Amino acid sequence: MTSTISRTKENPDQDAADVARVQAGDTAAFAGIVSRWQGPLVNMAWRYCRDRSRAEEMAQEAFVRAWRGLKGWRQESAFSTWLFALAANVFRSELKRFPAVNLPIEEIAEPATAAKQHDVLEGRRREEVVRRAVLALPLRYREPVILYYFHDMDLGLAARTMGMPEGTLKARLARARDLLRRRFPHLNEAPHRGPESTKREEVSR
Amino acid sequence: MSLDKQFGVGGGSNPDPIGRILASDETLMPSSGFLAEVMGRVKEEAAVPAPIPFPWKRAVPGFVLVLCVFGWILYKAVRTAVLDTQRFELTLPHLSTAVGSALAPAAWVVLALAVSLLSWVCAGRMARGSGLL
Repeated sequence: MTSTISRTKENPDQDAADVARVQAGDTAAFAGIVSRWQGPLVNMAWRYCRDRSRAEEMAQEAFVRAWRGLKGWRQESAFSTWLFALAANVFRSELKRFPAVNLPIEEIAEPATAAKQHDVLEGRRREEVVRRAVLALPLRYREPVILYYFHDMDLGLAARTMGMPEGTLKARLARARDLLRRRFPHLNEAPHRGPESTKREEVSR
Repeated sequence: MSLDKQFGVGGGSNPDPIGRILASDETLMPSSGFLAEVMGRVKEEAAVPAPIPFPWKRAVPGFVLVLCVFGWILYKAVRTAVLDTQRFELTLPHLSTAVGSALAPAAWVVLALAVSLLSWVCAGRMARGSGLL
């Protein structure tokens, strides 16, 4: 379940070879790049919008922009860094045009009842509410959270994708965490609750 | 405090539930036709002929002409102003009228250029905003 998707199938040699062929005018060579990076880009887009069909549309747009940009790419960084940074720019501008969530974070409802220990569906629903709440964060805090977890909590990689210093990213992550914790106070308390206190809460209702 | 500890994702006895939830997001598989769709769009783009470059060589005479016109207007305005100030019998209102009449055509040209520039900037912004550029 852990997201290692941002680094799956990473193959710098194959990327370099395909990039060289695309730059030489071989359009078909781009298929190799798409084939290796479609998973990471669709998943990255999914985290930006949490809408499968839109994620694919956004990833498709990112690939088309990458294809356009490859001709002028001077290979100053790793291909993956360049591709993720380009994709992040595309997703950011797409979501500025049509936001995924219009509600401010204060208006996102916290799940009313605590998840029962064996209620898997209820637990999943609560988790999805938290993940969707990330989309309601202000953009400056939202994107660091998305990219930090997309890159398996690799701060350096997330910072390079956003083109910002690690310190700034770290500060924004801490602020995002504060906002989410304030929005979901009961979630933070959940691990401390014993079965008895949960029962007491249910009885008091 | 390290980020992992702040977000509680590094394991331990009391992990932050928010960090745990965000770290355990599901992984999507792209749909089977995704690669073909992307390559279809790429091939479409590749088939489109390259945009016609701006004809700088042909435009240069036009630019030179515009510069000459502006230079001439400026020259005439300055010359008129200098000549008028040399006439002692002219009063201040006469002087400003003379200068004003010489500069009036230039003002219209400047206004037309400003409107053109403004419409070009607006068109560029709208095109960028709609993703055409």
